[in-house]
Amino acid sequence: MTAFLMLTLAFAVQGTFETRAQIANTFARLAEIQRAQLELEELLRLQIDEENSLRGYSLTRDQFYVTEYELAAAGYTAQQNTIRKILEAQRLRWPLRLLRDYAALQKSWRAQVARPLIRHPRQRLVELDKRNKLFADYEAESGAAIRDALAVTDAQLVRAAQVQLDRSAYLRAYWLVAFGLLAILFNVYRSRLNRELEQERNITEILQQAFRSESVPLPHCEVGSAYLSATNHIAVGGDVFDVYRLSETRALVLIADISGKGVDAAVLTAFIKFMVRAIALRCSDPAGILAEFDVALSKAVANPYLFVSMFVGVLDTETFALEYGSAGHDCAYVRRRNGVEQLAVTGPVLGVMNEPFGSRKIQLAAGDTLVLTTDGLSEIRNRAGEPLGAGTLALIESAGPRAQQLADDLVKQAKARGGRRLRDDLAILAIRVLETEPDRA
Amino acid sequence: MLRVAAPLLVLWLAAQGATALATCKLYRGEHVVLYSAADDPSVLVWDSRARLREYHAASFDEAQAMLPHAILVAPGTRAQVIDCVPNYVESPIFHQPDDAIGVVIISGPEHGSARWVLGSDVRTMSRKVP
Repeated sequence: MTAFLMLTLAFAVQGTFETRAQIANTFARLAEIQRAQLELEELLRLQIDEENSLRGYSLTRDQFYVTEYELAAAGYTAQQNTIRKILEAQRLRWPLRLLRDYAALQKSWRAQVARPLIRHPRQRLVELDKRNKLFADYEAESGAAIRDALAVTDAQLVRAAQVQLDRSAYLRAYWLVAFGLLAILFNVYRSRLNRELEQERNITEILQQAFRSESVPLPHCEVGSAYLSATNHIAVGGDVFDVYRLSETRALVLIADISGKGVDAAVLTAFIKFMVRAIALRCSDPAGILAEFDVALSKAVANPYLFVSMFVGVLDTETFALEYGSAGHDCAYVRRRNGVEQLAVTGPVLGVMNEPFGSRKIQLAAGDTLVLTTDGLSEIRNRAGEPLGAGTLALIESAGPRAQQLADDLVKQAKARGGRRLRDDLAILAIRVLETEPDRA
Repeated sequence: MLRVAAPLLVLWLAAQGATALATCKLYRGEHVVLYSAADDPSVLVWDSRARLREYHAASFDEAQAMLPHAILVAPGTRAQVIDCVPNYVESPIFHQPDDAIGVVIISGPEHGSARWVLGSDVRTMSRKVP
């Protein structure tokens, strides 16, 4: 469509320039013809000057008239050359031929009438006078013929200019209508595209809601989270976290990192989220959840190169005891008053090998924060290419006290270190045990 | 009544006395002056109206060969109209055919000779000579 529009525009521009050039050319020719007409009038005046000078000499014998005659004759020749050049340049054959005849007549008049009369002014012969009259009549006729021929050419050019101007106006109107129609078609086409796009956007939003990591409020805790996708303009990626109430006093805490990123990985996150929820509803042991999920993953995904690191915890919201299993996910921390503790891995990554998964139990105290991230944080590199690594602990320690503040600070630091573009998706989930119950009012 | 009718009758009789010549603007017996509107105001007068017509239709060389049949009279020569043939002379240059006027020259060296001239070379006495 764009190419067609560009092509049409190019045709329109080219047509406009061509018409403009044609009109300019016609007006230039017209100006030259009008110049030739003016020069012709001057030529006819010089011819009359020659004749009148000769007539004056014939009557008075005053040498002054001979000088005038010679001046007029010289001017006549120069003037005739000027007109000849214009007519030749404009390729006007018929006026050019008439001009040659006219010049030949004038030359004959000089030879047969003017020179004999100047040579023998006293012998004024009747035959010479008659010949002079004949020449005068024919030259007048010849001059009139050139004048008529130029007038005809002038009229033709004026008509041609009018036709070209009319055509230009019609062309302009044609292009205006054509572009108007194109604009209408384009608008209709765009409206249709917009409708389709809107429908697709709705579908995408529904799908994204399914894929999106989510958390629910937990009693006596505050939850903060952040998610950054490495794929531009897509709010989903290969990392997933989930906080899900299994019962009144138990909550599932999940964070997982799928090898790969983008939409393909995002599709798998939905599978992880809902599958783990389903398993956790009937199996409260994190090691069991991981083992069962490992089996489900190997059956659901045929890709042998795909693996998942996952942290699964079941938090008792009454006692704040956390039982967790970590399948190769070493980015789990607990921030306490006296420092940050990294939680140990309890098994291999999922989808790689058949080894048993273990569970561990830790106790969270009031003010402690469970910080779960993906390797998008610890592996983020500075300009020198060095990963954050163990610096993650210090980063978590220095982050803001509130759960959401902590998540936001970590994102800010990640962006500051890695620049605007992330190499990997980044998910952060922070659950802080409140020291006193928040005012529900 | 008689005062009005008498002059009208006289005018009508006078008009009847002068012979109208087809569509010519000149009348037989009218006095004219010969004066050419061309660059050279002298007038060529011809021994026959046929030559007058041929002269204006001829090429330059043909016209030159016909010159012995014409006399050149000075501008202002007076003459009297004796005949007129309307639209008789045609030329590739004229936009319209011109009349052939038969005249008797009544002044100058050619006094008394009867000749033919082009209608546009004749001025009536009432008209101003340019």
